[in-house]
Amino acid sequence: MSYALGNVLKYRTRSTAIVSALILSTFLLGSAEFIREGVMTDLAASADEGPDLVVQRILGGRQATVPLEWKDNLSAVDGVRLATPRVWGYIDVGGGGLLTIMGVNASEYGSIMGTTGTEIVEEGRFLNATDRYRMVVGQGILDVMRASLAGVSVGVGSTLSLIATNGSLIEFEIIGVFVSSTKIYSYDMIVTDLSSARQVLGLETLSFTDYALWAEYGENLNSIAFRIDSQIVESRVLTRDAIADAMLVAYGNRGGVMALLWAILLITVILLAFTVSASGSDEARREVGILKALGYDTVDVLEIRMFESLTLGTLGASLGVSFAIVFDYILGAPILSEYLLGWSILLLNGGIPLVISGSTIFTLYVVSIVPILVATVVPAWRNAITEPDVVLRGV
Amino acid sequence: MRLPRIIHTEGVWKIYGQGSPHEVNAAKDISIDIIKGEITALGGPSGSGKTTILSILGLLAKPTEGSVYLEGNELSSLSEVYRTKVRRERIGFIFQAQYLIPQLTSAENVALPMLCTDMSRADAENLAREKLYSLGMEKRSDFRVAELSGGEQQRVSIARALMNSPDILIADEPSSFIDEALTKDLLATLRGMSEEEGLTVIVASHDPMVLNWSDRIYQIRDGSLVE
Repeated sequence: MSYALGNVLKYRTRSTAIVSALILSTFLLGSAEFIREGVMTDLAASADEGPDLVVQRILGGRQATVPLEWKDNLSAVDGVRLATPRVWGYIDVGGGGLLTIMGVNASEYGSIMGTTGTEIVEEGRFLNATDRYRMVVGQGILDVMRASLAGVSVGVGSTLSLIATNGSLIEFEIIGVFVSSTKIYSYDMIVTDLSSARQVLGLETLSFTDYALWAEYGENLNSIAFRIDSQIVESRVLTRDAIADAMLVAYGNRGGVMALLWAILLITVILLAFTVSASGSDEARREVGILKALGYDTVDVLEIRMFESLTLGTLGASLGVSFAIVFDYILGAPILSEYLLGWSILLLNGGIPLVISGSTIFTLYVVSIVPILVATVVPAWRNAITEPDVVLRGV
Repeated sequence: MRLPRIIHTEGVWKIYGQGSPHEVNAAKDISIDIIKGEITALGGPSGSGKTTILSILGLLAKPTEGSVYLEGNELSSLSEVYRTKVRRERIGFIFQAQYLIPQLTSAENVALPMLCTDMSRADAENLAREKLYSLGMEKRSDFRVAELSGGEQQRVSIARALMNSPDILIADEPSSFIDEALTKDLLATLRGMSEEEGLTVIVASHDPMVLNWSDRIYQIRDGSLVE
């Protein structure tokens, strides 16, 4: 073991090259993986906080506003517990930032436990049926204001002006701040009444963006979706799973490119480790031959090489993971998060969704250490099982 | 009186690359006796097969055919594990090319044979320094071997060969990199160990001084023993 450790220090160039390659690969792999896992967890939480079904209206292949009359039809479908209309869209807050505004029927929407926007923190409250120009906001809104050039600190009781699509300013009072497990979907969301949202987004009176539906307990969502689809000609029904899948596909394509890059990177690291570790070189062969001639057996030689590789692999992986944590959690994963999250990043002023799990850390260590072990130990083993005379003389 | 043999070989052949177009018959029907406590020399020109025979006697290589006996026990057919154990415990090597590890210091190189035993690294390095001291190399203990002259490297190699207190020392062209005075010193040291400690020395050399100094000479030509 001491000989192996000594080798790590003695062969500085070799050790530095291997560790550097591992740091780079583990760092890239880790920083992307923490975001991927964060996105997956976030999307799962979004699905949990969202409605069971969303019904949109499609006219001429394009999404259109939904009329009030659909409410009775949807409520009458077997298995539907609640069908409530929503009005939602995005508002520009300048500097490339967008916020999501969602108008809801306060009494209906607020009756669903745990749905987005209803879990109000501290002294605030959720909307009631008579509220106008009042809003509950996600924590991201407060973060956006605080991070703005003016550095405004807002909270419950503050007034916030939104620019409507017709250019007018509409003042809203913040009556509550809600908590949410998700960053992508609801972190920067404003929940207000239907009429106020409609005014901000420039929609016609009594028109809605979609309907949010909750099913009776135990009902099959696909069956309800099928019934709605059959009964309402212009409807497009999205189940909770379909919404989550659509989100995952949007991310997954980019994640796939990253996976490909990882694979290429990993192969590069293996080749580099094989070359730089010089396990197959004359020098390494001779060293194994010397050790064997001096009385080291095959197991001793393999132990030395394994310990060297484990030391280098663990060091490289640990530094890579550490840098990835700093890059993601402290620096906010510049460039990488923009690529991986795409348009969503515009909405995320307060941080990207990140999750570090034991399995990810384990995977990172495995993909770092195993290739190095294989690249160094296999040639050493081949030399170790050859006669020392043949190894030393190269005959 | 029959002298006590420590090693003897019977009809040893060594063929490298057997069956290939580059097949080399490096040892042909070699039967020799190595007497315990004696200095035995294998003489002959370069490429005659001396190193190959040394490798077989030192259990670094298995004969293609024939047998090698250590104190009457046939070793060539034994497992690599057992042969390694014998090398570790009983045989010291001085290689022609020295085969020192350039990144390590003299003391670390000398300590190497003991690091695969139960001896601690500190004890091994202390012992290594003692061996280097006995060869006048104490001031070079912490130098990397790449920083040493050829003669100094040779002495490091000798110190390493003596680390496991072998009862058989195998030296391949030990005078290659040292001058005549150092060669005489080395031979005197080995002679002393042979006479005082019963060390059996087997040397391969084409140097007449080394051959004349030995107790017994086997001349090798083209892989075969010459009478």
